Order: sequence, then structure tokens, then C-alpha cells
Amino acid sequence: MSEKPLSRFHQPIAVPGRRLLHHVPLKFVRKKVSGGGARSVNQEIPLIPFIDFLLCIVCFLLASFSASGELPVDKNVKLPNAENVMDMTDAPMVAITGTQILVDGTPAGNTRAIVEANRLQRVDELFNVLKNKRELWKQLNPGKEFSGIVVLQVDRKVEALVVKSVFQTAAFAGYPNVSFMVGRLGAQGG
Amino acid sequence: MAGIDVGGGHGGKRATNHEIPLIPFIDFLLCLVAFLLVTAVWSQMARINADARVPGPPKDEPPEEVKKEKQLNVEMKDTKFVLIWKEGNTVVSTIDVEKKAVPVGNEGDIRYPDLAKKIVDEWNQNGSHRGDLRDDKKTDQAVLHSDNSTPFAEVVAVIDAIYTPKRDCSVCGPNQKKIPGLNVTFSVN
Repeated sequence: MSEKPLSRFHQPIAVPGRRLLHHVPLKFVRKKVSGGGARSVNQEIPLIPFIDFLLCIVCFLLASFSASGELPVDKNVKLPNAENVMDMTDAPMVAITGTQILVDGTPAGNTRAIVEANRLQRVDELFNVLKNKRELWKQLNPGKEFSGIVVLQVDRKVEALVVKSVFQTAAFAGYPNVSFMVGRLGAQGG
Repeated sequence: MAGIDVGGGHGGKRATNHEIPLIPFIDFLLCLVAFLLVTAVWSQMARINADARVPGPPKDEPPEEVKKEKQLNVEMKDTKFVLIWKEGNTVVSTIDVEKKAVPVGNEGDIRYPDLAKKIVDEWNQNGSHRGDLRDDKKTDQAVLHSDNSTPFAEVVAVIDAIYTPKRDCSVCGPNQKKIPGLNVTFSVN
């Protein structure tokens, strides 16, 4: 029969060692303060800074989010740049590339006749396409006021005569608010 | 892992501590980031406005008498610009500005800073609608006279100079506190 060992307080000579917090009745505290055992190999991943970082990215991307989508710029058109510009708007896009005129990517006449005649004239095909678009918009949006905005994508080398002819054609077709698509140069103005 | 620890937990009561499920939250954020990155538009395109003043549809009542206002006519010559303020057909003043093109960037863009400065001065002196757009809905008109063979890049540079003078707009939304003081249209012979 084995005898129960005496506690260290009842032993004639107390064993030296760590005493602080050893009486706390929590296992994990005892384990921590005892100083024994191997170093823990578990590691806490700092998730909170990671979430902060993700939230910052989300905020930035949401702030720069554009619901209107990417603007279809014809690859053959080299646009000029300007400083005093406005934000883009959703409107029919008329591109003048070389001699061809495109409305939202669909051919709508060419500029050869204007250049040959060397005078301002209406582009009938463009006029019909724009007029149809306007009438379609009015049918789809009854009772709403038509903004009459059209955006021209004009190559920087196109002559002013062609620009003015297309401008005038758009105005005759019911689009008096003509905007020219440009690149943003330097600080944004109005 | 993050959690909510309210202490206690003794005495056989149901524990009120909770672990916050961070992993699904991080997954959600990553999906959101991926979506926003894919749909992000990095285009720097903008527009420069012009106005084609054409008569509206015919009305039964006679058109009301409109007071003739001063218009700024900008003529593009070979070596200079001519700024002409006209009131109807009456010429009020004429100013010549030397045509000094300043190249900007590597894409062959040009600017006319002298013209822009002169137009700002002229508009401050002669402009009829310089107040906030909320109080004055009208805008001063500028008519651009250009040669038929002028390249579009030059036309845009002149329009850009004409749009340099700005007026307040407290009704245009938070992103647009100022708007151009002049509205450009083209002259047609």
C-alpha cells in the first residue's frame, strides 16, 4: 500500500519553484504560467486588418463604379483632349472614322459626298437613322421629355466641314444638344 | 478568431459568448472585390458640349419678343483670333488675339491659353449671365467661325478655351459646382 505524498506545505523542506498564479483554478491559466511544455505552434492570423484592407478596396471600387458601363470608342478614332469637360452621358453615339459614319456601331452614311461637294450638307442616311432612334425613344418613353443629346466621336484630323455637316444633320434629326467626346486633360473643370 | 465574450459561463447557464463567422464575411468581401474589379471602368472619356440652336416645333401663339443680347463671335483666322461682341447685327467691340498654340502632352494636342485668358476677361466685362444658374437660367452664347478645312483638334482647342470662364451652379449636383459661362454653337454660311 502506497502512502499519499505530503503536500509541499507539509513536507519538511519545500521544493523551490514558481508559485505565482498556480492556485488559479483555470486550466489554461495554470498551463500558461507554469512555464512548462513546448512553445505553442498555433498561430492566430490577423484577420481584422485584412478585413479592414478589403473594406477599403470595396469602398474605393464602389466610389469609382460606373453603372453606365464601358464607353464604346472606335479603335480607328483618335480623340482630341480637353480640359473644360463634362461627364459622359448615355446618348446615341455617332462616330466619324475616315469617311465612314457609324451610329452606335452601325454604318449610317459616309462623308465622301460632303468632301467632294466642299460645302455644308445634310447626310440623309444619318438623318434617317437618328430620326428613327428619336421616334423609337418617344414610343418607348411616352410622356417623358426628350433630351436631344447626341455624342459625336470625331477623329482629331477630320475637317471642320464634315463636323459641321454631321452637327447640322443631328440638329435637323431632333438632337440639338450635340456633345463631342474628348479625353480628359489635366484637372477637371465644370 | 473574433468573438463576443460577455464573461460568465458558469453555473450551468447557457453560454452567451459568440464567435463571429469571419470567414464567410471575408469570402463575401473577396467576391465583391472581384466583381467590382471586373466591372470597373477606367476610361477617362468626357464630353464637351455644343448647342445647335434650331427653331422648335411651330406653335399657334406668336413668338414672344426676345431682347437681343450680346453674343461673342470667335473667328479663327490663319494667324489670329478675332473676338467680336455683337448685339443683333450691331458690332459692339472687336478684339484681336494672337494665335499662339501651346502643345500639350505627347498626342499632338494644343491649347490656346492666351485666347482663354482674353475670353475670361471679355466675359467678365461683357457677359450678361454671370450669376448662379439657380437665379439665372440663361447662358451667354458664343458663335465659333472656323474655316472648312480646320482640323477637329484645333476646333476642340478653341471650344475648350471658350469654356474656360466658369459660373456657379448650385443646382447642378454635388459633382458639378461650376459650369461654363458660355455656350458654343457653330456659324453656318
